[in-house]
Amino acid sequence: MSASSSCWHCGETLTGGVLIHARVAGVARSMCCQGCRAAAEWIEQLGLADYYALRTAPAQRPATESDHAAHDAWGGADNARHVIRDLGNGRRESLLLVDGVRCTACVWLIERSLGTVPGVLSVQVNAVAQRARVTWRESEVTLPRILQALSRTGYRALPLDARGLDDLRRRESRDALKRLLVAGFGTMQAMMYATAIYLGAAETLDTSTRELLRWLGLMVATPVVLYSARPFFAGAWRSLAARRVGMDVPVALAIAAVYAASLIEAVRGTGEVYFDSVSMFVFFLLAGRYLEMRARHRARDLTDALARLTPPFADRQRGDRIQRVGIHELQVGDVVRVAEGGIVPADGVLLTERCRVDEALLTGESAPQSKRRDDPLIAGSVLEDGPVLVRVERVGADTALAGIAALVGRAHAERPRLQIAGELAAARFVARVLVLTALTAAAWGVIDPARAFSAAVAVLVISCPCAFALAVPAALTRALGALARRGVLVVKPDAIQALAECTHVLFDKTGTLTEASLSLADVQTFVSNTDALRLAATLARQSRHPVARAIAAADPGIPDAAVTDVATHAGLGVSATIDGRALRLGRGDFALGGKPLAREYDDAVLLADDDGPIAAFRVNERLRADAGATIDALRAQGVTALISSGDAYLKVAAVAARLNVGTWRARALPADKLAWVAELRAAGARVLAVGDGVNDAPVLAGADVSIALAEGAELTQASSDIVLTGGRLDAIAAARDIARQTLAIVRQNQRWALIYNLSAVPLAALGFVPPWLAALGMSLSSLGVILNALRIGRGDEMPRGARQVQTPATSPRTAVA
Amino acid sequence: MNILLLLIPLSLLFLAGAVWVFFWAVNHDQFDDLETPALLPLDDLDRRDRPPE
Repeated sequence: MSASSSCWHCGETLTGGVLIHARVAGVARSMCCQGCRAAAEWIEQLGLADYYALRTAPAQRPATESDHAAHDAWGGADNARHVIRDLGNGRRESLLLVDGVRCTACVWLIERSLGTVPGVLSVQVNAVAQRARVTWRESEVTLPRILQALSRTGYRALPLDARGLDDLRRRESRDALKRLLVAGFGTMQAMMYATAIYLGAAETLDTSTRELLRWLGLMVATPVVLYSARPFFAGAWRSLAARRVGMDVPVALAIAAVYAASLIEAVRGTGEVYFDSVSMFVFFLLAGRYLEMRARHRARDLTDALARLTPPFADRQRGDRIQRVGIHELQVGDVVRVAEGGIVPADGVLLTERCRVDEALLTGESAPQSKRRDDPLIAGSVLEDGPVLVRVERVGADTALAGIAALVGRAHAERPRLQIAGELAAARFVARVLVLTALTAAAWGVIDPARAFSAAVAVLVISCPCAFALAVPAALTRALGALARRGVLVVKPDAIQALAECTHVLFDKTGTLTEASLSLADVQTFVSNTDALRLAATLARQSRHPVARAIAAADPGIPDAAVTDVATHAGLGVSATIDGRALRLGRGDFALGGKPLAREYDDAVLLADDDGPIAAFRVNERLRADAGATIDALRAQGVTALISSGDAYLKVAAVAARLNVGTWRARALPADKLAWVAELRAAGARVLAVGDGVNDAPVLAGADVSIALAEGAELTQASSDIVLTGGRLDAIAAARDIARQTLAIVRQNQRWALIYNLSAVPLAALGFVPPWLAALGMSLSSLGVILNALRIGRGDEMPRGARQVQTPATSPRTAVA
Repeated sequence: MNILLLLIPLSLLFLAGAVWVFFWAVNHDQFDDLETPALLPLDDLDRRDRPPE
């Protein structure tokens, strides 16, 4: 395929005979549809054609008529109430979830194109979270107009609940940042005063200056303890109220004890003050929490994408009136009408005779499913033909989709095992230090009561749970960032540990080791029937399997109306009846209904009816350029690579031979693949499954850790552990390297913190440690942990050029140039 | 050492100012999106006709 056989705007493969052109920057470019032409011309008119030079991934297809109808519905006061916030002075604000924001060019285009709409006051686009915050003047422009302007450029936008505008999460991250900063500034100042005292102790510092510096230390440390450290006190209070002892209780106790001790000394003007240490203690602990929170929020952004699976509106039918209502107004028992191409708004039962729905987003099942009257329909599935009537059975949080989204959300909200283990270690450590402090005080109380207090405080100060508390989050945050830069998005943080420990990698072949887009290479007919390709393309259209898509792209096929009894058989093929003729397309044994098959056709896709084979199709597939290097790199790391494919023996054998993979299984159904994973795990292996998401969902779920390619079904991605966004396989080997390094560094960090404390605390207990040494030791031990974590993923960045060349070619809807 | 009596209050004043500026920035969305602005300079095109803020 050449570049001209794909749409210039959205990258869709051009299949039809009629070509549509648009002039972009003076050159005629082929377009796949009128929508894309309009979008391209509009972008050109605005003088924004540079977008095409800037972008790194093709655009979304522009919106259709039904989307425009949906935009208008946001104009209704009832529907808009939830999504628009009134800022006063006639200004309104909305938060939009924008589908298809893929790169900087998108941010640039959205900001500019919305900026030209009169009445729009400001546009802020967050490319990572795929959100746009728009404010506008109510008297000049309305929300539907803004949505339309966006959809004209090809971005579909969904207004999010207005409560999301000042939601919990934003407050949480702002609060955390403020507390962190106050602690940081306080620490710097307190350290300065403390340094003066420490240095002055050796020289001659007159008593009044010394007193002044102590009071100043108290002044700057007080906001740190009362404001910045409040989350620790609040957390400790909550734990105690629930009669549990968490990490917060000992930390809060230590902060309070050191601060109170220093306060007493400052007032009495006798012993040592530790305002610098207590500030630093709070600062380091807050830094650890802040890092952890950012990693958590990032993962949450991914799950929010599930929101776009359900439509915001439904057409409710009452009597013979159809009314467009917000999805939240639907009730059990309502009858809704779903148009062709529409999304089923709630779980329900089909009232119309029959229809076909695409449940791929939910189940990863590759092909549309035939439904008959009284069959259940799942919210979020896409109707292929229509319109149909659906009786609502379950709404909102009760739907299967909401259940899955909640499940995924819960998985994301869970803190990684590594983190929990680290916190437990820190909590145990602090508890022991508190006991040790009490023992020290008691022992000195017997030996020399005058030194009891200062020695006990020194023990408390020099022991540093910060190093423990920072060990895991610093390493994890650094690892998540390093992986994201390589196009590896970690959805579940536990995956880092599992990835590092995996011993076997199970690759899917089609679409994973080979390129996602295939082309039809050869057609061989057995009967004198020139319609073979047309029939095959019609059947192939029902499936999303890459091979089927290659066949479907070769011919427009027969209108769906003539096709009945469509059924897809996972891993086997498609069957349907066309003009009363029962046809099967797929694996030879499936197409022929179990009849014997000449061996030379084992690697072909067969079209057959009850009388026998009609035609054989061969597609040429190419290995991904980096497949060999990836498997070699994994082997060098001591990981066994395996291939499991639903494809024919000959083809799998050829791929396995080229990649030097000794163990492979062909003709494997999803259940077979899963069984193989179970077999390997039973033998003690830790299995990493890599797939493109189509038909692979069970395998990905059954493995210890899974990687989905971004081309796959959305929900499969959301339920897999890691998503490869760049489409580069060799990122897997690099990711495993980083994961192993991360685990090693976490262990180093914890060991280092332990060694430091074991050597420092006894000295403090014996009274050998002056306050300046305690402060120095504490900060150095924490700094060591952070600097160590920064080593993760350094030095082997991917070459930029390689990434740029690769991105357009591997994005899902681009033809291979 | 008497200069300390001037310099220390001055530094505290600076400190209060810095905290105030930072709080203002946090409250005015400056820290809400730390990723996108880092990408923007990558396009070196003329940005004179940016949307009105």
